[in-house]
Amino acid sequence: MSGQTYLIAAYLGMIGALALWTWTVFARSKSLESKIDSLEKALANDESE
Amino acid sequence: MRIRGEAVALLGLAGAGLTFWLGMTWAPSVSIDAFKAPEAQRIFYWHVPSAWAAMLAFGMLFIGSIFWFFKRSEWAWRLHVASSEAGLATGLMCVWSGCIWGAAEWGVPWDWTDIRLNTFAMLTLLSLYLVLGRRSQPDGVETRDTFAAFGMYGFVLVPFTYIATRLWQIRHPGPVVATSEGSLNSDMGTVLLIGAISFTVLIIGHVMAGMRLTKLELRLEDLQTRYEEESR
Repeated sequence: MSGQTYLIAAYLGMIGALALWTWTVFARSKSLESKIDSLEKALANDESE
Repeated sequence: MRIRGEAVALLGLAGAGLTFWLGMTWAPSVSIDAFKAPEAQRIFYWHVPSAWAAMLAFGMLFIGSIFWFFKRSEWAWRLHVASSEAGLATGLMCVWSGCIWGAAEWGVPWDWTDIRLNTFAMLTLLSLYLVLGRRSQPDGVETRDTFAAFGMYGFVLVPFTYIATRLWQIRHPGPVVATSEGSLNSDMGTVLLIGAISFTVLIIGHVMAGMRLTKLELRLEDLQTRYEEESR
């Protein structure tokens, strides 16, 4: 592998790692929001019964 | 209008992508006489901004740790958590890009005798300990105090790392900006500046998003406790 190809592969690997990190923040946020919504609905139902 | 941390992080990520493209295609090459692996030098446009972003994250970790430890501020704990994760990600990015350059230029990815390499690695390991430790321990005042103490005392390594190449320059190159000995070409300086701004925006976005995530985690824990109590 030439120096330039090696460097591009290294860079793309790092961009991929940064993108993955950003995506996990999105996914964790969505997952937590949906769990909170479900629990709030369940608690509201319990209170109305 | 409320700006979401995720949107700011995406903007920073786009800037990091732009830095990569400019670094590969637009930035001038370095002299082949000065470097053994002149092409590998282009990793500098990511290595330096990621080190800068890691230092910012460690600075925020210090502020969060101090304000939690002495003021018991909830925002400060959230800042501690978010900045330790951001410090780990950017610290690993800096170490990884440095190893790639070291392997090409020096022939070895790591030099155990170089002070800056080792103090920076210790900072990254500290943030790894804080991230893994928090996930494996139940949340509580004692746990938070322990991690905040590590965040405060660990910060000593930041100025130590900053001055390391000035005091004991062994293998790691010395500073090229904000120094009288600087010799950075203006096009190189422009790409480096774009990289530094992009990584700063990225780290701010991630810290904002991380602080919101911690708030959501604490809210979820609170709701789960209430739900369990009401189910009994």
